[in-house]
Formats: sequence, structure tokens, C-alpha cells
Amino acid sequence: MAFIVSAVKVQSMLLRPSYAISKILGYSTQVQPNDDVENTILPPDKGAVTPQLDPLKHPDFFKVHQLFTVRDLFDARVHFGHREGSLDERMKPFIFGSRLGHLIFDLDITAYHLRQALNFTAHIAARDGIILFIARGAQNAHLVERTARECQEFAHTRYWRGGVFTNADMQFGAVTRLPDLCIFLNTLNTILTQHVAVRDSAKMCIPTVGIVDTNCNPNLVTYPVPGNDDTPCSVELYCKLFKEAIRRGKEYKKLKEAEETK
Amino acid sequence: MVLKRVICNNVCSKTYTLLACSNAHNVKRSFCSTNGDKVSTDTEKDEKKRSGFARAFERYTSTPEIKTQTPEKEETFASLLRNSKLIDLGDPQGKVVTGNIFHVVGDDLYIDFGWKFHCVCPRPAKNGSEYVRGAKVRLRIKELELSSRFLGSSRDLTLLEADATLVGLISSPARLLQQAK
Repeated sequence: MAFIVSAVKVQSMLLRPSYAISKILGYSTQVQPNDDVENTILPPDKGAVTPQLDPLKHPDFFKVHQLFTVRDLFDARVHFGHREGSLDERMKPFIFGSRLGHLIFDLDITAYHLRQALNFTAHIAARDGIILFIARGAQNAHLVERTARECQEFAHTRYWRGGVFTNADMQFGAVTRLPDLCIFLNTLNTILTQHVAVRDSAKMCIPTVGIVDTNCNPNLVTYPVPGNDDTPCSVELYCKLFKEAIRRGKEYKKLKEAEETK
Repeated sequence: MVLKRVICNNVCSKTYTLLACSNAHNVKRSFCSTNGDKVSTDTEKDEKKRSGFARAFERYTSTPEIKTQTPEKEETFASLLRNSKLIDLGDPQGKVVTGNIFHVVGDDLYIDFGWKFHCVCPRPAKNGSEYVRGAKVRLRIKELELSSRFLGSSRDLTLLEADATLVGLISSPARLLQQAK
């Protein structure tokens, strides 16, 4: 079903296939974005590698919604929260309910936020941004560091010294470029208080993506993702998803560079 | 020679060897002139419905079907939760679950039973050497999360661990290794 599209603004509603409409109205395990990428692509010029499409104008250019379903989140135990006694009031909008004192996240809300976060990550990667993974927990430290190495990005999973962001030039002894995005796999440190880097990133105007559990404060995180941050299988899922989003962003950047050098 | 030809002529498929053919019994009949007509119908029937060894042979020699992961019906999160093991558990206090040991430090066994947290249990005296990484054990849950409010604080303090007692061993790689020897 190929449509010939003109360079003029396209009414994507008309071109959206009917089954996609029913999916949007339907179940949370399959959610499609509002625009179909295929139908909004402009015809490429002769010899062009990529279509002439501005990724920023697209709600989900890197198709991150295809990376996971609510079922995947469920199987990775993302919906488990802590007890009611350690609940942070600000996390209440993300909670589905409590089962005999144990809180459960609403995975529909989580899925929405995770898509936003992955989309943002992919865009940052596509614009050649430095991404820093931050996690604090001996169980997941190695996994996070390995993920960062595999994406060719950076990770900090050790004790955070005071002025790493706010006094970087003095700490590192030279003019330092700070990261363009911080991804927190835990926003709490080992003593269950908020990680210093959350506040410091906000001070230095660095956008943050963070997995916030029921005992975390989501206020300072730019793209909070409410979910379980304690179980290794959840952290594995997050690492996998962020790695894939970054890979997609970098792939687009490479294609674009190849096109420009031609 | 006649025998071979008869078998090939029947739609006795490529998957069958001479010996395994369920239609082999028809070979005998085809030599009898009276049952000549019956042969074709029997082979057709057998072709559609194989039983016993023939069916098993077919199943195990054909290429395995890859099960797709898409669910047949779309599920909502609410229905996923309602049908989950956590809800089936009811009141977790005192319930018996299966866990698997994912880490061992001396006499401490770190056991994951499908919940947010793992639990740590001491190695029991009986069959102690069989409690290794990868062993499946039975646990009785005491608490799903060790957290409580301390005097003077506004929020609970959590240990990020569950509390359970070891009931018994289900299977262990150490045991299998010993049996293999």
C-alpha cells in the first residue's frame, strides 16, 4: 500500500490505516503514535541516503514505542513498588494501587513516560550528545557500566564526590564538557537519600531521565519513569531499552553524516 | 524389487524410512489381488491421521514451529495484574513459594522467588552441599519486605530484602552432577 506524498504538509489522519485507529483506542499493550513514519516521508532526492524529514517535528521519529510493550514491563517486574509506609507523596499519581500494603505502579502511565524518556534519549544521541548513566547499588553497578561501554557512552556508579558537576573545572583540572543527558537507574543512593547528581544536574541545566521508585522524589527529574529500580531484571530491561534507543539515535546520525559528506 | 516399488508408489512420504512406514502393512495386502482397492483408501486415511510411532516420528523429525510471542488477545495491565501470581498468593504471610538461588556467600544463600526483592537464608545443616547457585528451593514467606517505621522518622526505613525460611530443596545442579557420575 504505497502512497505518493507531496512535499506539502500532509494530513496524516487520512493516511493512517484503519487498524491503527482501533489499536489507539484499544488496549494498553499496543500503543501506536499519532503519525505513521512511512506515510509522512517525503520523496528522497536523487542520491540521498535519508529522507528529507526533520526528526524534531515527529512525535516518535525513532519508533521507540516498538521497543517494548506493557507485557514486557510486567514480566520484568517493573510494577512492584515498596510498602505504603515509605511512599513519597509526590509519587501518588503514578500508583495503580496497593496490594496488602505493597504498592503497584500503573504500567500504562509508566509506559507513556518510558516512551517519552526513550524518545528523548534517542534524540540526544542523534545530536551527538554525551550521555551519563548513573546508578548506585552494588548489585547493578557492573551491568550499568557494561551497558554504557556497549553504547560508547559513560557511566558513574561509584561514590559521587561533591563538585563533579558544579566544580568540574577544579575537580578535573581542565576545562570540562559536562554530559548532555544523565540517565539515573536509581535516583537514590546507598543510604536511601536522593542522589546528589539529581540536584546538581538541575543546577547545571542538564536534562535528566530517571527511574523513580515509590520512595523517590520525581520533582527534579526532567523525564521521570515511575517503576521498580530494585530488581535486577527490571534494571536489565531498562539498560536494554536505553541502549537500543541510543543505538537508533547514533545510527540516524551516521546516516545523516554519510549523506552530508556525499 | 516389487516390494520397493509398491512403497514408493504409495504416498508414503519422504519422512518415512522403509522400516518406519505405517503404510508398510499395506505392502502385504497389495500382493493379494482381492485387497487391491482397499490399499489406496487405507493409505489416504493413514496419511491424514497417523498414530503411535508414526506420529511421534513426524513430530520429532519435522522442523520445530517457532512460537510467536504475541498474545492471542490484547491484555490490559489491570487484567495482567488480576491474573498474576502476586494476586493468587493472597496474604503472603506463611505462603510457600519456589525460589532459585542466584548467589552464595559462604553460608548465606541469596534466593530470588519472583518478587521485587530477594531473600537471604542460612544454609541448612541437612544436604548443605547441594545448595548451590541454580538450585531450586521451597520457601515459606514471613515478610515480603523488611521495612518498618523507626521512632522519630516520617517514613519507613527499608532493608531492600524479603524475609523467608527455607523449607526444602526441589532440585539442585549439584545433585544432578552426582547422579551423572
